[in-house]
Amino acid sequence: MAEFGIAALSVTPVAGARTTATGKALSVVALRKTYGDVVAVDEASMEIAAGEFVTFLGASGSGKTTTLMMIAGFCEPDSGTITVGDRDVTKLAPQKRNLGFVFQQYLLFPHMSVSENVAFPLTLRGVSKDEIRRRVGETLEIAGLSGFGGRKPRELSGGQQQRVALCRALVYRPPVILMDEPLGALDKKLRDQLQVEIKAIQRELGLTVIYVTHDQEEALVMSDRIAVMRNGLIEQFDTPRELFERPRTPFVADFLGAANFLPGRIEQHTDAHTLVRIDSSGGLIKARRHQLPSGTQVKAAVQPGRLRACATDDGFCTGTVETATYVGTLVRAGVRIDGGDAPLLRLEVPAGRGPVAGERVGITTDPDDVNLFPTEQAG
Amino acid sequence: MAATLTTKAPAPPRKLLASRRTRAGVLYALPVVVYLLVLFVYPIFSTLFLSLKNANGSFTLHWYADALTGVNLSVLFTTLRISAETALFSLVFGFILANAISRLKPLWAALAMLIVVVPHFISALVRTYGWIILLGDKGLVNETLTGLRVPGAPFQLLYNELGVVIGTTSMMLPYTVLLLYGVMRGVDRRLLAAAASMGAGRVTIFRRIYLPMVAPGLASAGLLSFILSLGYYITPALMGGPKQTMIATLINQQVTKENQWNGAAAQGVILLLLTLAGLLLVKLVSSLGASRRKRSAS
Amino acid sequence: MMQPRSTIAGRIALTAIATVILLFLALPIAVILVTSFSNNAFAAFPPEAWTLNWYKALFADGSKWPTALTLSAFVACLSTVFSLIIGVTAATALTRGELPLRSAVYALVLGPLVIPQIVTALGLFLLFEPAAMLGSPLAIALGHTVLASPIAVLILIATLRGIDERLEDAAASMGAGRLTIARRVTFPLAAPGMIAAAIFSFITSFDEFYISQFLSSVDTVTLPVQVYNSLTFDIDPSVTAVSAILIAFAVLALGLVALVRWLGSGRQDSLLSVENTVGVTTPGGEAV
Repeated sequence: MAEFGIAALSVTPVAGARTTATGKALSVVALRKTYGDVVAVDEASMEIAAGEFVTFLGASGSGKTTTLMMIAGFCEPDSGTITVGDRDVTKLAPQKRNLGFVFQQYLLFPHMSVSENVAFPLTLRGVSKDEIRRRVGETLEIAGLSGFGGRKPRELSGGQQQRVALCRALVYRPPVILMDEPLGALDKKLRDQLQVEIKAIQRELGLTVIYVTHDQEEALVMSDRIAVMRNGLIEQFDTPRELFERPRTPFVADFLGAANFLPGRIEQHTDAHTLVRIDSSGGLIKARRHQLPSGTQVKAAVQPGRLRACATDDGFCTGTVETATYVGTLVRAGVRIDGGDAPLLRLEVPAGRGPVAGERVGITTDPDDVNLFPTEQAG
Repeated sequence: MAATLTTKAPAPPRKLLASRRTRAGVLYALPVVVYLLVLFVYPIFSTLFLSLKNANGSFTLHWYADALTGVNLSVLFTTLRISAETALFSLVFGFILANAISRLKPLWAALAMLIVVVPHFISALVRTYGWIILLGDKGLVNETLTGLRVPGAPFQLLYNELGVVIGTTSMMLPYTVLLLYGVMRGVDRRLLAAAASMGAGRVTIFRRIYLPMVAPGLASAGLLSFILSLGYYITPALMGGPKQTMIATLINQQVTKENQWNGAAAQGVILLLLTLAGLLLVKLVSSLGASRRKRSAS
Repeated sequence: MMQPRSTIAGRIALTAIATVILLFLALPIAVILVTSFSNNAFAAFPPEAWTLNWYKALFADGSKWPTALTLSAFVACLSTVFSLIIGVTAATALTRGELPLRSAVYALVLGPLVIPQIVTALGLFLLFEPAAMLGSPLAIALGHTVLASPIAVLILIATLRGIDERLEDAAASMGAGRLTIARRVTFPLAAPGMIAAAIFSFITSFDEFYISQFLSSVDTVTLPVQVYNSLTFDIDPSVTAVSAILIAFAVLALGLVALVRWLGSGRQDSLLSVENTVGVTTPGGEAV
């Protein structure tokens, strides 16, 4: 059962930012889009505060891009409203909405120089020539592109072109800037570098950004809040930490961290915790206090990074290490649990303390890191 | 869009403002459609109707009967024959030249292509006139042949079928060269190398690998040359004698000299039908070739 | 490049034959250029003496050539304008957005290129004769446009396809209205293609013979018709000079197209390859 994510109104802008406006930057109410039988976006609603960096995260077909396109005006919603500031823009053409858009393919005008590209939106707004020159220079400097003004787009590298695209979208200070997987065409190293740069620029200028990506890591690094989307619905709209530690659905838990799921049954509740009897091994695992009644079939979800290997007597279950792969700073281990249908648990532990293949270990974790979901809940 | 939502593959870049475009599209198409309907389609139909009308306005087929008997019929046959000869020669020469160009280094290939392409854009009248100068009794060709003591020189190279075919082939050659060059570039050279690695000699490779692969393209190019030659008028009229009258010449005569518009219309329709039949054949051949390639690829 | 090795003898033979064929193509043109400067315009070759008489005679009193040249140029300008208008609108309709019956429209556009030119000319004759428009330059221009506009359409389709449509989306996202987008994004990028379309339309109209002949009258004679008359009736020796000038024009025009392509490169993927443009001239009659 998925949820509508209607976020809290009062998210304070990042401290230290030069915000040009405060309060609600953009809100979307019950946005819906269908193509024939397929529901691309199903009643999406959210509110975004000024200066926030919000990411739509999801796989292809989750509806994240469609939602972005509707906000931009390139796609007409079947129903719902879009409000920018206090303006209802739902029926407006893209050119009337005064939003910024950064495309994955950059889409710089090939017949104009870098300066002309960045100046273009300003020329549409009747800004004086001197003012244009000043603002273009200023913007290029922020993006680290001073001196590139005279070059043509085809003379620039991919990373540089993307920075120009960004400059072009923010030089006219639109209230919201939309970005459609802007780093998708770049290699990993460049992507990591630009993620940091974009975030820094956003912070310094106090920009409100809606960012679309399918890369969880990218979302976690850059966002103030993330809307995890699946099949046209927003499963959860929360800060990265909340999503990671307090996922509301198994899908969110899995999408952000490839969680382990252990089926079991709630045995009893204590003041602080809920105790769950694991089906396979018969061990008892302590989870965060949950309101579901005793006897309910549940799935206990734990992130691989939050499981620890310990002595066989100390954990909630025991097992044999089947695989242990060294990946730099971590060891990824697969531990086959004893008993029942012997599920496989995935662990991620710091390299120094990694278990070895063949070893018999116990598994333990912090109760705070165990989230419970009723078994019927889709995931 | 519906399909891409359910697959994992990323959607190809699409124009986003598509929904508002249909109305604009119809409006933009109006000028060309109206123009060609009035000045192209309608005239063809009126030609058709004229060819079926008697002097008093009643329906008749006698113009067609006329066009297919006696002198007119022999003109038709001459047209077909000369077109076939033109197609054959331009195909052979075009093949050789295209083959040669494909083996040249890029600089020479570009130069050769220039020599092929530039004449194509020069008026047919001019090119035909050049041939008239070349092939005259005292023209360059005959002078050279006489100078080389070739027996029989000087030859009658103009106002006969030889002259016409020389002229029309030269007109058609750029077309076939370019078409065949395209076909040849479409041949994966690695297949030939693979055959060689298995022990096939050069003749075998040519006969059993290369030729079958280019055959459909060759057939299309030959057919196209044939179809195009059917309508030739300038070159046969200027370089040929009375025995080389082609159907286009007849049409021209009947319009400009004899005022026989109905007869001209009938012959025009016949020429049109021949052209369309030929084009259908080309389509058949190329789809045959495509289906053969698909079968071999699967 | 993996090719089966060829023998030296084979290569020499091939090069020899290829050279002969290339000569076959180039000689008629070369001989006109040379003969136009010879004092004996028809018979002997090589020329006995060099002269500029034929060129001077073109502009002498009583010469029919200046009128024919002016008429051809005027008609060609008209045709080019008409063809560009039709070309831009049709290409836009066929490349951008949804067009119902798109393949039917496309087939219609290709029609004049596929039907024998003499049939098209005959049809136009039957159309204009009852309207007493024979000999009208406008009628001739309208007729030429029938042949030239498909070429313009094809060139412009290739041009528009080479421009990333989403650039227009990008401009819209920044606030540019339809007109601004067309003016500052689409048009500058399409300019080289439009120039090429204009040049080819001009050449097509300037060199066109069939329609011009059927639609001409005693007073209105285009340059190609005048050349034809000279070759069949008048035997005006200046025709060689005219032909040489026409060759120079054609080469100039092609050079211009090449220049425009080169200047506009980097703006879009492929404007027109030579193969495309040649395939685009009017079949059904001697090319152009």
